[in-house]
Amino acid sequence: MKTPSFIRLAIRNIVVNTDPGTIFFMLGLPAFYFLVLGTMFQSIIPGVTVNGSVVSYTKFLAPGIIGMQALTAGNIGGSMLWSDRRWHMFEQLMVGPFRRLDYLLGILVISTVFTFGGSAIMLLLAHFVSGAFILTAPSLAFTFMALILGSFLFTSVFLIIAILVRTLQTYNVLTILIYFFLDFASTAFYPITNATPVALRDISMVNPLSYITNIIRSSIDTGYVSSVLTESLILFVTTVVIMFISLRMYSRLKTVA
Amino acid sequence: MDSDFAVYTKDLVKVYDGGKVAVDKLNLEIKYNEIYGLLGKNGAGKSTTIKILTTLMNPTSGEAQVLGMDVRKRANAIRKRIGVVQQDESFDFTTVENNLKVYSMLWEVDRETAKTRINEMMDLFDLEEVRKKRAFEISGGQKKRLQVAREFLHDMDLVFLDEPTVGMDPEMRRRVLDYITHRAHGGLTVLFTTQILEEADYICDRIGIMVNGNIRAEGTSKFLKEKFGKLKEIHVRLSGDSNKDEKQKVVDEISSIDGIEEARLEGDSVFVLGYEISKKIAKIAMVFERHDLGIESMESSEPSLDEVFLKVVNS
Repeated sequence: MKTPSFIRLAIRNIVVNTDPGTIFFMLGLPAFYFLVLGTMFQSIIPGVTVNGSVVSYTKFLAPGIIGMQALTAGNIGGSMLWSDRRWHMFEQLMVGPFRRLDYLLGILVISTVFTFGGSAIMLLLAHFVSGAFILTAPSLAFTFMALILGSFLFTSVFLIIAILVRTLQTYNVLTILIYFFLDFASTAFYPITNATPVALRDISMVNPLSYITNIIRSSIDTGYVSSVLTESLILFVTTVVIMFISLRMYSRLKTVA
Repeated sequence: MDSDFAVYTKDLVKVYDGGKVAVDKLNLEIKYNEIYGLLGKNGAGKSTTIKILTTLMNPTSGEAQVLGMDVRKRANAIRKRIGVVQQDESFDFTTVENNLKVYSMLWEVDRETAKTRINEMMDLFDLEEVRKKRAFEISGGQKKRLQVAREFLHDMDLVFLDEPTVGMDPEMRRRVLDYITHRAHGGLTVLFTTQILEEADYICDRIGIMVNGNIRAEGTSKFLKEKFGKLKEIHVRLSGDSNKDEKQKVVDEISSIDGIEEARLEGDSVFVLGYEISKKIAKIAMVFERHDLGIESMESSEPSLDEVFLKVVNS
């Protein structure tokens, strides 16, 4: 049986991108955040309220770290296009037995695989550090949905950057800025309360990572999924809009630089 | 559909956004199993032509068919049957071996065949010693070899080679050219671009000299040399001692013969440059005899493809 073109491209992306640097970025950095930052803060933060229940800080942080995997995988996905354009592999693949759509699907597949792989490892890690999570069918379904949408959304965001930016320096600076900005100006690390500065509260309200984190947090920390239906809808619409923009730009992207 | 040709273009035009005409009413007919060399200076339109034929770029107007298929309408089908070595370096950020393995997998070469071919290519292109090195760590010549080796891993009917030997040493260049010839004998059609004229002379069945986006001259190497190389040079080596003034008188007299472009004296040798010089050899010899100058040897030299190329390009 023939392997579909986009799966072959996805396999190529795994082989080419499973270098130590990428693995560290994908797993090492969030694991470091969780183990070091999480346990350190836990000693000064007695507990955080989620949907009326008080949970430990590491348990609060775990969904944020899991949601971050979508952001990291999206970043890796975007850098694949940028790197392939820079090193003429995009051009080389486009004179091979592939369509443009295959190439895009290859990136989306790999981003999703990285998101789920990384999230599963983070969940396992959190399970040992913070104790059991609520893993029911509805909570898992919402977590899956948030991760898939998050993966597509962030991959689209970083693909847009990869299409627009030509130089390595600009690309690196821009992606690092966006990565850390989305990471820290969200509900991944801190609860948003009345004491949160208004500007930061507003930013975190429009940050998709906050929505992903909130959905996962409500699902696996408290099992209270009905509270995230609106957030899920907002995340879905945002993903569709960003993906549409990204697809349009990608379809107009010239193969030859 | 014109399936008599592996590559066929008629009045093909490519105008870039800025208005630059890169390909200008190009007519090209490349037969199956032929090695066709596209020669031209930088900016002549060779790479743009290849980009159109490999479906990377749409033409502005005109017809272009590859393996009997229209490049606009059947791009996907064309790409499944061609191979392309681009002028720009392109490789994946992994080891040399993985680059080859991944490329075989992308082209659905079965594992056993891929293994055999990879070993053959490693050996043929002298990549064994860098097998485990990452592609960005190897030299420019090795990267180019990797690029060429990679393309010959999969089956194809037509290969486009855009300056494939850049950065290679003469021995490796010869090995690559011999391999291309070997594959062409096995039924592969080759469109080859180069700026190294000896290469085209060495492997191409036919050569097209491209100037300003169009073919200015086309034919076999021999044909081009005959057509554009009528200006030949003969080298007359004189025997014994002779008076320098006498030799100069001979040179002046030869220069006045109709069709002789130049005659010059260099030590004991006289060089004569002119059109259809073979018909004038007797006349030239008589001048030497009249002045009592003995001739040790007289040699006529073929024009090099370089001379032909320069003449066509500058005409």
